[in-house]
Amino acid sequence: MAKRVRRSSLTMPINTKRFVERSWTRNCDYLNFDFEDSVPQSQKAYARTLVAYAIEQGLQGSAEINLRINCSYPEADVPAAALPGMTQINFPKAETAQQIRNMDRLITEAERLQGIRPGTIRIGTAIETTLGVANSYEIASASPRIDAFAGGTGYDMSLDMGVEMFVGFDQFVYNRGEGALVAKALGLDYVGSVYMPDTTGNVGDTELTRQRAEANRQVGLRSGSGLHPNTVEPQNIGLTSTPEEVEAAQRSLQCFQQLDERGVVEGELDGHIIDKYEAARATELIEWAELCAQKDANKAKAQAQARALEAQ
Amino acid sequence: MVDRIRRSWLIVAANDSEGLTEAAQSGADVVVLDLQDRVHDTKKHVARERIRDAIPQLCARGAEVFVRSDIELLYADLHASVWRGLSGVMLPGVTSMAQVQEADSLLGALQAERGVVKPPPVGDVLEADDPVSPQQALELHLCLDTGRSNWDAVELIQASSRVKSISLGRADLVMDLREEPTGDLHLMPYLMQRLIIIANATGVQPIGAWWRATSRGLVANPEDTLEAAISGRQAGFKGGLCMRAYQVAALNRGFTPTDDETASAASMIAQTAGNNGTIDASRAAIATNLIEWATACAAREQGRATMIAQTDNASN
Repeated sequence: MAKRVRRSSLTMPINTKRFVERSWTRNCDYLNFDFEDSVPQSQKAYARTLVAYAIEQGLQGSAEINLRINCSYPEADVPAAALPGMTQINFPKAETAQQIRNMDRLITEAERLQGIRPGTIRIGTAIETTLGVANSYEIASASPRIDAFAGGTGYDMSLDMGVEMFVGFDQFVYNRGEGALVAKALGLDYVGSVYMPDTTGNVGDTELTRQRAEANRQVGLRSGSGLHPNTVEPQNIGLTSTPEEVEAAQRSLQCFQQLDERGVVEGELDGHIIDKYEAARATELIEWAELCAQKDANKAKAQAQARALEAQ
Repeated sequence: MVDRIRRSWLIVAANDSEGLTEAAQSGADVVVLDLQDRVHDTKKHVARERIRDAIPQLCARGAEVFVRSDIELLYADLHASVWRGLSGVMLPGVTSMAQVQEADSLLGALQAERGVVKPPPVGDVLEADDPVSPQQALELHLCLDTGRSNWDAVELIQASSRVKSISLGRADLVMDLREEPTGDLHLMPYLMQRLIIIANATGVQPIGAWWRATSRGLVANPEDTLEAAISGRQAGFKGGLCMRAYQVAALNRGFTPTDDETASAASMIAQTAGNNGTIDASRAAIATNLIEWATACAAREQGRATMIAQTDNASN
């Protein structure tokens, strides 16, 4: 599977029609429809009937479609979620490998029934409890459908650790490190975030979102997520390599190729060491910029077509 | 008890004649002759041919000598490296117990075949010559520079009794760790602390320095190197790797307790003795360790001076 471009998303309750029907206009790289925390218990069964409509709406904007199920009801939620057009089903509060193996089994069965090519639907896992952190490696390696992983942060993690969420230091150092190391050990994409001080908890803070996205891009992270439409564009922009970075990467690569032709392993360019590792980094950056440009073009084209249809 | 003082590990390409001369004069506690990243594939054979002559030249200037092998070229690299004077082999990019065991077994066979033993601490006299004794077994140093090797660190260390030290190697580059807004390299503080804990739990030396974004790639300037060494020692590292001869003095200095620290430790021990243990016993033990470390550092410098004097006398 080609590397996915997942800079921005919105998680929204699937039973709130006005959110879902405008979801394609948000310019998200992916949409995360929710069966879990944002859907009241009384609406859970109804929510399961809305997936086909949500997929149809989201795909109009060329967004990748994800859905978050309830960790307590995978047997009911997965068959409802695993429909054509679904790319990833997210399992929240993952705590054991057995839960993920069960998810894999349910998705495999649903793919068979729906005529979806085997292995199409990915599993996303959210580590949100201390038990989940302790079992990170087993969880992340429990299914080949998992291609990305991150350590536990967020509200539920804070609750389980018995700490405040918005403080002026990183209370999740260990969780982040463990998640990142597990991802690297297993060759998965690491989809965490760097720590940025946030004492407000404002989920629609455009400026903080932009700063975090840029900091993430600078450490080589490529993915984002959000709850508020204000966070989409700062992430699309902040996580895309700038033209200056692409140009610098091209120069690094050229420099390394010249060194290699001379049988030399290391050189210097503009005060920076150039070697095979820097060359690999430059190659990745250039490829990422191309993927982002392709994703942006696809989204723009799809949204233009949808708007034209809407106007008719 | 302090075994060997290895504050500075200078990595130099084995085919770099100028670099080798510079390394010999650098005052590095350990010179690592590189057959891996710093040697182009087309020049590996030349580099291997240089090893046998380079080892005694470096030993004569008071350095311990390691070779950094390419894990994919282990057989040829170790055959070129196991000669009198070698202390051990550095293994970067190691990801499986089988690789460590293969290195262990190759070293054992070559030691026995060639009668090579690990040299005594620099300046000491070789009192025995037994290639199969555990004390004189050539060492392995594991560079845990990938996610896989860091995750499996305990198993990898325990795969061979020759493993006596570990480092992150060039993890910042191999794992592509870059600058966070704080100035730390992303994931590096976690990896460094994890490595120190695992090293102490398994009884091997943790080697590394608290490299930050300004020093990415082990080629920091002397000031940043000193800062990384001081923070590294305070965090629990016992010495650091470097790529430039000018970094050696900073590493040696940063990993040696200052006179003030030693005096303060001595004063604390004296107070403990005078006050019937009213000062916490743990603090006194920490102070004792610091003084032992400082004494061993001084002995290491003396050993180097003795070795250089002997070499110079022999050549006159």
